[in-house]
Amino acid sequence: MIRLAAAVALIAGPAAAQQDFSEGSEAREWGLFGESKARFAATVVDPLCELAGQCDLPCAGDRQVALVREADGVMVLPLKNGQPAFTGAAVELAPYCGQRVEVDGLLIEDEFVGAVNVYLVQRILPEGADEWVRANRWTEEWAEAHPEAAGEGPWFRRDPRIAAEIAEEGWLGLGAEADAAFIAEEYGE
Amino acid sequence: MLRPFIAATLLAAPALAAEPGERVRITGEVIDTWCYFSGVMGGPDAVVGSAHHTCALWCSAGGIPVGLLAPDGQVYTILKIEGDAENAGGDTLLRIASHTVTADGMLYVRDGLNYIVVEEVVADEDIVNATHADYGVIPNFAIPKEARQ
Repeated sequence: MIRLAAAVALIAGPAAAQQDFSEGSEAREWGLFGESKARFAATVVDPLCELAGQCDLPCAGDRQVALVREADGVMVLPLKNGQPAFTGAAVELAPYCGQRVEVDGLLIEDEFVGAVNVYLVQRILPEGADEWVRANRWTEEWAEAHPEAAGEGPWFRRDPRIAAEIAEEGWLGLGAEADAAFIAEEYGE
Repeated sequence: MLRPFIAATLLAAPALAAEPGERVRITGEVIDTWCYFSGVMGGPDAVVGSAHHTCALWCSAGGIPVGLLAPDGQVYTILKIEGDAENAGGDTLLRIASHTVTADGMLYVRDGLNYIVVEEVVADEDIVNATHADYGVIPNFAIPKEARQ
C-alpha cells in the first residue's frame, strides 16, 4: 500500500509542479529563465501567521505576505511587484490580507536554485471589483514616506537607510579601503 | 481537568503553530531572494557576496524577501529575526545584508520552500564572500559614476 501511494505521489508530483496557470493571463514577460505567466485566485495571508501561528498582527507594517492558491492550496511567495525597481510585493498585496483576490503575473521555477512557487505580481483583482489594480504602488508609497528624500533619480539612490549603510560599509560592504582599491582597479585609467 | 487546562492554554498562547516546525541551526549568507531565484542579474554565484552587496541593500530596503543561503544551496526565507517581524524592508535584515551568519530558530517547510523564524543570531561573520574579485559589481551600475572617481 505504501509503495502504491509512493508511486501515485511520484506520478502526481511532477504534474502538480508543471500545472499551467497561464489561461487568461495578460502578464508582461520579463525574459527570465523559468518564468511562466500565471493568473490565479488566492487568499492573501501572512506567512508568519500561516506557518508559525504568530497571528497577532497579520500583514501589519513591513511584513511579507503570501498567496494560498485556491486551485490546489499551494502557498505561493510573491517576491516582486511589477516595477523594475528592486521592489517587493508586500505593499501591493497587504491591503487585501485575509481576502480572496485574483492575481496575474509570473511564476518562477528553477530547480537548480530551488525556485518553486515564487511569484512576480503585476496586477490584482480584488474580490467583487470590476477593474484590476496595477501592482506598482511601491515607489509612490516610498515617496510619500520619505518626503525628505525627494529629488531626481531612482528611489534606491536617494533612500536614507541605504545611503547610511553605504556610507558606513561601502559599496562592496567591505569598507572604504576595499572600495578604493576596487574602484582604482576597475575604473581607473 | 484536562479540558479547562487546554482551553486556558489556547487562550493564553498568542502563537498557535499552524505547521509543524523543526528547531535548526543554520549557517549561511543573507541574500536577496529575488535576484537569486529569478536569475535577473546573472547566475547564482554572481548575486551573492560583495559583488552584489549594494543590490542586496536595494532589494532588502525595497521589501523583497530576504533569505539565508546555506552551503548546500538550500535557501531559507527569513520570516522573523530576533523578535523583529519586519521581514519586508525592516532595519534588522538591512543591516546584515550579505553577511554570513549562524542562526538558531524554527524551520517550516511548505510547498517546496523553506522558511525560518530566527530566534537568535549566534554568530555574525560580516561579509566574507568576496565575489567582486570575480564578478565586479552586479548590476554593473551599482556604483554610480560620480563615486568612481
